[in-house]
Amino acid sequence: MLVRLIEMIENNAASMAKELKGKLLSDPSTSSYQTLVDQTLYQNIFEIYSRLGHWLLRDSEKGEVRTHYSSIGRQRFEEGFPLHEIIQALVATKRHIWDTVLEKGIMRTTRELDSAVDFITYLNRFFDMAIYYTTLGYYRELQLQQAS
Amino acid sequence: MLTKKIIDLIEANALQLSKEIKRELLLHQSTRSYQKIDEKILHDWIYDVCSRFSYWLDEDREKGEVQQHYKNLGRERLLQGFELPEVISALYLTKRRLWAFIAASREADSALNLNQIVEASFLLVRFFDHAVLHVSEGYEESLRSKYGYEAPLSNPERLSEAIAAKQKLEQPIYEEPKLPSLCFTKGMIRFG
Repeated sequence: MLVRLIEMIENNAASMAKELKGKLLSDPSTSSYQTLVDQTLYQNIFEIYSRLGHWLLRDSEKGEVRTHYSSIGRQRFEEGFPLHEIIQALVATKRHIWDTVLEKGIMRTTRELDSAVDFITYLNRFFDMAIYYTTLGYYRELQLQQAS
Repeated sequence: MLTKKIIDLIEANALQLSKEIKRELLLHQSTRSYQKIDEKILHDWIYDVCSRFSYWLDEDREKGEVQQHYKNLGRERLLQGFELPEVISALYLTKRRLWAFIAASREADSALNLNQIVEASFLLVRFFDHAVLHVSEGYEESLRSKYGYEAPLSNPERLSEAIAAKQKLEQPIYEEPKLPSLCFTKGMIRFG
């Protein structure tokens, strides 16, 4: 059942990425994302949704999350993004997953609710790590700049 | 409210939970600066969140009061010498412990149903999402006032310039040549 929830997101990755891209581009609290090339922004979101199973279940030591998101943090610093906008975008990415799960109405039976609890645990663990390492990458780059 | 029972449980166990979270913050390598804080003060910081959970989870407060509280916290932590990743990690460790407590409550109390657990987790996640976001905003404000650092795209003029540059970049470099329109005039072909 947990796998079914993940597959549902992966199978809807393209439309979900398109929807979230639209939200980020129109939301004033993530206005820096308007400076990214549209295709890059779409691809970054699609990369999370289409490989959700990998991020949530297979990267158990979170090594890839560390490398990938530290690098995103450094890159966004170089591009001049305020950190809170990056955090806001990651939170919106997570919420969009949860909203889609609720919208599809697949939490009726006890078994489905049980899986939802597991799903919440994995989803939050991944996004907590993603936000933490993005902040770390961003912050280290800021320290380097301030030191030089 | 479905989740009231769970929130009450957190508040009733706030003292014990605060002790456990404090221990975790003191041992975890991502929150090393917390070792420099007086243990009593650290305990009070954590206890304040755990013991007033239902107060904090009120949606109106989340929009105003929680925002202000965590922005102030972000500003203070910079002045106290904490690194922002440490502050965020401390919030996540707190959330993780509370989530483990909620999940375990179900086994201890069979009257709690899964709907309540899912709803409580939703509130918990939303609360900490707000907290992390506003702590970062406050921390960035302090970076600006204390060290003069401001992310370039925070400046509306620079943001507009960067958006214009991107739009220029996205314009197609090669434009499809327009074919001349053909007109027929008395049996002759004339290019329009």
